[in-house]
Amino acid sequence: MKIVVGIKQVPETTNVKINEKTKNIDRRGISGVINQYDRHALEAAFDIKAKTGAEVIVMTMGPDDFVVSLQEALALGADSAILLSDRAFAGADTLATGYVLSEAIKKIGDVDLVLLGQQSVDADTGQMGPIVSEFLDMSQVTYASKLDVDGDTLRIKRYLETVEQDVIAKLPVLVTVTDQANEPKYVNVVEIAKSFEKSVITWHASDLNLDDDRVGQAGSPSVVRSISSPEAVAKDNHKLADNPQDAADELVRILKDKNILVEDK
Amino acid sequence: MDQKTISQDILLRMVKSFVKNEVAPYDMDIDHTRSYVNDLWSKVKENDFLSLMLPKEYGGAGFDGRTTAKVINEIAKGNASLAVTLEGHFKSVDQIVKYGSDELKNEYLPQAKNRVIAFSMTEPSGGSNPMGINSHAEKSGDKWIINGDKIMITNGGLAEIYCVLVKTAPTELSFFVVDNEMEGFEYGKQENFLGLTGVPVGEIVMNNIEVDESHLLGKVGMGKEIGDSAHDDARVLMGAVLTGIMEHELDLVTDYATHRKAIDTPIIQMQGIQRKVADIAISKETTKLLYQKAAWMKDHGQDYEEEAAMAKAYGSRSAVKAGDDSLQILGGYGYSLDYPIEHLIRDARAMEIAEGTVEKMRTAIALKEAESRA
Repeated sequence: MKIVVGIKQVPETTNVKINEKTKNIDRRGISGVINQYDRHALEAAFDIKAKTGAEVIVMTMGPDDFVVSLQEALALGADSAILLSDRAFAGADTLATGYVLSEAIKKIGDVDLVLLGQQSVDADTGQMGPIVSEFLDMSQVTYASKLDVDGDTLRIKRYLETVEQDVIAKLPVLVTVTDQANEPKYVNVVEIAKSFEKSVITWHASDLNLDDDRVGQAGSPSVVRSISSPEAVAKDNHKLADNPQDAADELVRILKDKNILVEDK
Repeated sequence: MDQKTISQDILLRMVKSFVKNEVAPYDMDIDHTRSYVNDLWSKVKENDFLSLMLPKEYGGAGFDGRTTAKVINEIAKGNASLAVTLEGHFKSVDQIVKYGSDELKNEYLPQAKNRVIAFSMTEPSGGSNPMGINSHAEKSGDKWIINGDKIMITNGGLAEIYCVLVKTAPTELSFFVVDNEMEGFEYGKQENFLGLTGVPVGEIVMNNIEVDESHLLGKVGMGKEIGDSAHDDARVLMGAVLTGIMEHELDLVTDYATHRKAIDTPIIQMQGIQRKVADIAISKETTKLLYQKAAWMKDHGQDYEEEAAMAKAYGSRSAVKAGDDSLQILGGYGYSLDYPIEHLIRDARAMEIAEGTVEKMRTAIALKEAESRA
């Protein structure tokens, strides 16, 4: 069984700055980490590897310094790592990125399972999974909170807003993973040094079968015109009773009235 | 990017995340309960923190002095006790690497991954004056018989392997390695210290412990040299601990001073507060530069005794002063046992004494300055 996990290196800080010119995140001087949801996707792959002996290939698209996240994934237990890096990929939106990722997955060949985090914590679109699955013409299941491989099928649990869904999908399939799926392990101190027995492979644009018009800025139909943070405005101020018991009773009553708190039946 | 930089980046990412999730939230609990709560110690061992600077040939990660010190700095930001517990282990591992016989290294270094090693010099009759000790080792055939009592050992009780300073002749000091599984080894009293309360500090008693010649560190009579070497190691790492403590203090005071208002103005806008915050920041950065320079010199095989002494002497007094300033900025909250400032002062204060007093540091610095001009 062959699993590809797509990961993204995101800024470590939550205090991100936006480049006024490009309207993109300004990554200069900010150290990166593996996107939190992708850590759950990786962990899900390692769980399946432990049960089935699957091969785990980790992949990301980005500049050379994204190699740190790939090497970290190798130290965590991935078997091989591919960096998709080329000046031609610069300025890619989700569509152009998804196109390159899907072509790389095609090049790997015979992939049974593609795992991605449900979304990145910097751009927050949640589009990458659906886009890659469309390009690959592969079935997709988003927001998986539990994954179990059973022969050539995958049993998936999805916790949606009001319903809980059990999905049985036939492999190959692409799945995006939530942070409820598992508890990612820390990279072991000694495994970091050992991980260099495996090395990160770089694929440039010329290594893939790409249509030039579909990569980088040229292949990106979406343009960020402006970006702003919503201003926090206090409204509907309501002071609760001074006595803690009365305040608690009142709060419960208000939450029930608004259907935020629902009594167990 | 080269392999060394990538490894260091991955390690520091992991350490920051580990400290944020597993260490910092329990800082107050560790201080109050005098123990590594919430299975923290098992997590430290599971993730192989004990092997951080252990050479690769003995199953370790083989990180250099600078990386090790940066890790200690990050951990101390979350909890200084845990950082000092690791510091105590690392300096002991380093002496076995440096002075151990091949037989001793092959026996003990692979175990350093799971078993804490401690370094013990102090006795009721002498600490900073090693000639005042009474523990001794006598040669009996091809064995050494060790007797004595060691107190105030960092990690005493937690550690299972001990490098012990003994007399091999009335004026001859030597180090041996003993193990808690040896006949005649006993644990004694645990100390009840004011600060760094998570660190177990205790006594071991040695009654006719019999060891092979291979358990001698270096040669007979090398006790002072090995003790000095361990102190230099420890002082660099203490500079890193003190930097972490001051970073913790800065986080607390800047957050408080930004949100606390007086006359409708955040107090960070007031010059009296600004001066204190700036002084803490200057002290933090100076200590950081001192320990990083000393660690760099160590990695490059240079004599770093003076720089290590400066990092500890300057850092410890500065961190106590920074703690006092932080307490003043936070006012009543600073003086409360329910807030962390007071224990940061107690923690920093320990380092004006441990691993050689600050007075001893100044002697070392002054003599080095004179020597370099002689």
